Amino acid sequence: MEVLGIFSDKESAGVAVEHLIKEGFVERQITSLTSVAYPDGVLVRTEQRTWFRWFTLACGIAGAGAGFLLAAGTAWLYPVKTGDKPIIAFYPTGIVTYELTMLFALAGTIIGMFLEMGLPSLRKRVYDPLIAEGYIGISVSIHSGGVAVACEADVSPRECIGTVAALPSDEQVSRAEELMKAAGAVRIIAEDRI
Amino acid sequence: MSEPTLPAAKNSSQLNDEMLSSLRTPTWSWYALALFLGAVVAWGLYAFGYMLTTDMSCTGLNRPVMWGVYIVNFVFWIGLSHSGTMVSAILRLSRANWRRPILRAAEAMTVFTVAVGGLFPLIHLGRNWVFFYLIPYPNQRGLWPNFRSALLWDATAIFTYIIGSSLFLYLGMLPDLAVARDRSSGWRFKLYSVLAMGWRGTAREWAIFHQASTLMAALIIPVAVSVHSIVAWDFAVTVIPGWHSTIFPPYFVIGAIHSGIAAVITLMIIIRRVFHLEDYLTPLHFDNMGKLLLVIALLWSYAYFVEVQTTWYAHEPIEWEVFSFMADKYAFLLLLMIFANSVLPIVALCFKRLRRSIGVMLVVSVLINVGMFIERFLIIVPSLSHKNMPFVWGTYRPTWVELSVTAGAFAGFALMYTLFAKCFPMVSVTDVRELEAQKSVVTLGRTRLQSIAEKE
Repeated sequence: MEVLGIFSDKESAGVAVEHLIKEGFVERQITSLTSVAYPDGVLVRTEQRTWFRWFTLACGIAGAGAGFLLAAGTAWLYPVKTGDKPIIAFYPTGIVTYELTMLFALAGTIIGMFLEMGLPSLRKRVYDPLIAEGYIGISVSIHSGGVAVACEADVSPRECIGTVAALPSDEQVSRAEELMKAAGAVRIIAEDRI
Repeated sequence: MSEPTLPAAKNSSQLNDEMLSSLRTPTWSWYALALFLGAVVAWGLYAFGYMLTTDMSCTGLNRPVMWGVYIVNFVFWIGLSHSGTMVSAILRLSRANWRRPILRAAEAMTVFTVAVGGLFPLIHLGRNWVFFYLIPYPNQRGLWPNFRSALLWDATAIFTYIIGSSLFLYLGMLPDLAVARDRSSGWRFKLYSVLAMGWRGTAREWAIFHQASTLMAALIIPVAVSVHSIVAWDFAVTVIPGWHSTIFPPYFVIGAIHSGIAAVITLMIIIRRVFHLEDYLTPLHFDNMGKLLLVIALLWSYAYFVEVQTTWYAHEPIEWEVFSFMADKYAFLLLLMIFANSVLPIVALCFKRLRRSIGVMLVVSVLINVGMFIERFLIIVPSLSHKNMPFVWGTYRPTWVELSVTAGAFAGFALMYTLFAKCFPMVSVTDVRELEAQKSVVTLGRTRLQSIAEKE
């Protein structure tokens, strides 16, 4: 479940994040929704490491294989004998291999980016069009009481769920809403109410 | 940066309103322009249809000049496509803040110019209906397209470039599509919702987005260089006098960047005027683009000098014959090309005042592309006119068919750009607003200066 508070400026949004952390929520539960990028730490801190570049590399290698097979493999399968020239020509094979390497790597970057972002999302998620107008959303992920549902494989439960996790989820939602209202939220949207 | 690029007082909504103004309901003048461009495209299609139903004899192509205006167009349009994506990628990688309002115009230009340019090898084929021979598939005779042909290298490179440039354009537009989605209704809302893919602008999405943008920029630059190098190899790997030159690939790449940057400047001026974006495309942007153009004009002049000087010094008879023929028969075009590509930009762009003059920049940028079109013509036609065997020397004059198809291509590019401008943001809204959000005024000594917050 997700609770989204909408703030008119980054200062009040920053205050809300600090209050949420003091209350026992952890950084991993809180994210910002903005229409422009802010440097990491201005509003929230987020994981900067990504894996999609490895996906780009893998696609590039697959592209190189595809290009080589397309140029050299087909020349070998369908040989065109011209004078004493080699069946597999070095120059065209190099060009086709290079171009397909780059094509696959470019496509892989976009596909990997969307995969890592989790887009397109199949379920409706909390959002407010005011964000496009420069308002700032602070979103808190609420977990079922005491369950480390959002933890990743290499992260300990203590890192991904704060002390408020011991409370029932309704109580967590109420606390997050109160804190965000106190910090100056102009609107609160909870996922179960959309 | 000591000079503000934006008025400080505007809030996010005002910035959105102004930068998304191109998406408003079209006016009658927009419809009139679209209709006019559509009519010219229709005329070009008619000319192409006429060529299909008769044969290539309706063109000026004949022995020995079998490459004419169609290939001139091909090289010219592919060259134009160069700078859009490349300039954008270089400015993204160098994190030049003044790049922000320019990116979209440049990236969109690449996609449409490469689309137009990619049609010309097909138009030039002669028997256009067998164009699918270019596509690799095993046919009934067990043959396979021969990748030793430079035409197939072109097809592969252009295919990669058009896909890559389109993805690069789309990637840059992703956050803007979300903004447009949140401010629209009806069919536009549906369109932007699909294209925005559910983008919400979470901190994690932004972090991944920035890394992907940087990676795409780094990947697209070598593709751009390879595309025009391969176009140059179409010429350089032959033994035609005037073409068989090692300097051709870098010379073509420099020429492509020259014409591309000039075209971006021309489009910036048009967009600025039509969509009233004077606050976003300021004289500072033209000043910086002018400096870039000056450097490229110097490089182009150097490359051209090296090419001609080598021919002159070696005085190899057939090479010199080609050059003499060009200097004699096409003297006016040659002088116009040197003036437009070299003398004018180098002289004019040395002066800050002229670089910041929108009128001067329009004249310089348009003339550079006139010069670059001539340059492509002078590379192709004189060399083919005077090859190694004097008994087949000849000349070439394009017919109404080729000129109509050329006019159709120019109108087609303008039409695609006009339609794009009505459907998608022409200025990178979130990029410009990001800069605005990071700005603050600081006191330094006795004065107050504008600073831009950036965290490493």
